[in-house]
Amino acid sequence: MKQIAIYGKGGIGKSSTASNVAAACADEGYSVTIIGCDPKSDSSITLLGGHRIPTVMELMQQRVEITEKDVVFEGYKGVKCVEVGGPEPGIGCAGRGIIVAIKTLQKISTVMQDCDLIIYDVPGDIVCGGFAAPIRKGLVNDTYVLTSGEYMPLYAANNICKGFARLGNQLNGVICNSRNAENEEAIVSAFARELGSDLLAFIPKDPIVQTCERAGFSVIEKEPESDIAKVYRKLARTIMERDSACVPEPVTDARLRELTG
Amino acid sequence: MSPVPKPLEPLIMHPRPSSIVAALYTLRDLDVDVVILHGPAGCSFKHARLLEEDGLRVVTTALDESGFVFGGHDELVNILNKVIEMFDPESIGIVGTCASMIIGEELHEAVLEVNPDVPVIEVEVHAGYRENTKGVIIALESALAAGILSEEEFERQKVLLNEATEVEKRHGAASKEYLEPSRGDTKYTVAKRIIQLLKEGKKCINILNAKKETGYMFADINAAVNQVAKDLGSDSVIVNMANLDENLGLDRVRGHARNIARDLKGMGVEVHEIIGGLDEYPVTGKTVSKLIAEKYPGFDFAVITGVPHAIPMDNLEGMEIISVTNGPRQVLPLKEMGHDHVMVEIDLHPKTLGVSNIVESEFGATLRELAREEMQ
Ligand code: SF4
Repeated sequence: MKQIAIYGKGGIGKSSTASNVAAACADEGYSVTIIGCDPKSDSSITLLGGHRIPTVMELMQQRVEITEKDVVFEGYKGVKCVEVGGPEPGIGCAGRGIIVAIKTLQKISTVMQDCDLIIYDVPGDIVCGGFAAPIRKGLVNDTYVLTSGEYMPLYAANNICKGFARLGNQLNGVICNSRNAENEEAIVSAFARELGSDLLAFIPKDPIVQTCERAGFSVIEKEPESDIAKVYRKLARTIMERDSACVPEPVTDARLRELTG
Repeated sequence: MSPVPKPLEPLIMHPRPSSIVAALYTLRDLDVDVVILHGPAGCSFKHARLLEEDGLRVVTTALDESGFVFGGHDELVNILNKVIEMFDPESIGIVGTCASMIIGEELHEAVLEVNPDVPVIEVEVHAGYRENTKGVIIALESALAAGILSEEEFERQKVLLNEATEVEKRHGAASKEYLEPSRGDTKYTVAKRIIQLLKEGKKCINILNAKKETGYMFADINAAVNQVAKDLGSDSVIVNMANLDENLGLDRVRGHARNIARDLKGMGVEVHEIIGGLDEYPVTGKTVSKLIAEKYPGFDFAVITGVPHAIPMDNLEGMEIISVTNGPRQVLPLKEMGHDHVMVEIDLHPKTLGVSNIVESEFGATLRELAREEMQ
């Protein structure tokens, strides 16, 4: 079973990448679970035709007895969807939320065992032990970093790699979600190389993604023949087949600035 | 220039009360009516219950997992409202815990929302400070800010606290990485020794150097030494020194000093030298040393109760020292200082909370009992 986590700066497109990869893998016949760890809980919405599902933390906050059917929902082609949820920005501790919710999920459901692929859609940067919990608790065996070619997302990606290096965690690859920056593919490719890793996919900026999302669907479901769908399918295949990884060697900030010119 | 690294303090492995607990006791000393512990229900529960015996109400917001994740603002607002409604307090304390501090709870927001018309002392403290006196300092700072403590008293308390920390590092609970708890010497044997010394007419320095309310029991030992000497018809000279200055410290602490002094008088004990206030136990040692050097040289033995390790050995050298503490981890350091007999009054603290009269001590009772047997 592949258990992967996609990390990257907030707003860089982790959720659309995660849901499209999930859908593409489901198309290929894999049984897939997606666990959204972001308090925004929008990892699964495009796999569920635009429906928002109750989050584990929401139910815990209501102090109700939670069962599998309350939090595990089947979406596109049988993809199992779970949303961890979390607090409003600025209060409480979202990291703790991830730890607690995942523990609860392990207790009440087999969704984390009976599948070929689990995707953890992890929020933002690794900022505390709670956000790194899926890795530290051994729930993730492959990690990917998503970035664009701009300085800030690269900075966040590099920081995440610092976290990985500290945890002795291996990086399986870098994915570029394009923002139409100049020389973007070359920049991210060089960045990945310097980390000791590879650029696995270059996802071009395509308005189809937003259009599908607004309608509540993944590109794979709504525009299966589009070019961008092909990119996601290729990435999904790469993820399922890839077994090389390395403990990343983060670059210096000066080097990062050089790279982004 | 790169900063000079501070030398690392020795690692302390044995458990000690935390800053949260220290803050609770400080709020009690400040005569706060109700304290809300903003955190998990079980936090500091043992001390919280003890303090309830002492007239301070301690309640908790009982944060659970959901509270840790989503924050406990609403719980705190609810409890604050409830506390006002149920207890009609004249002052309220809110004490943070690790849980609420780690997730960044803002105690003040809840206070602003409820807007009580009594002072609220907000103590943003957790248990992760190396020195638990930090909890006292934060509580005092908040009390100062809330206007229920004078600047002058605050400064005085700070000096005492720093000194208390130093005393603990020198010869107290923070002096060693690990301290084995010990019951010390048997009270029977030491009581016999005191009776013998008194019968021989040996001269005794009898010192009460107690920490606040613990004085209610330690004073009983000093009283017993006097009473037994009298009963035995001993011609020993006994000089009584006590940190019972009734004009120093917070009102509550002054009250304890008054109560103990009154009871000692009632027991026929004359205190010859007042060596400081009941909160001055870390600094009274200097006065004791000076007094012995100037007025009482050549005494044969000393009985020291309370915080004996705060009394320097300078002028005690040459005397047989009998000391009584309530800390089982204090036995070894006291022996190492050169105290000949060290005893522990177990469970002293719970028995002295909520009282206003001297409480019988185990050693005092043993001494009196043995003296009675002697007389028969
Ligand atoms: S860890 Fe901190 S908050 Fe939790 S019970 Fe202990 S002292 Fe209280």
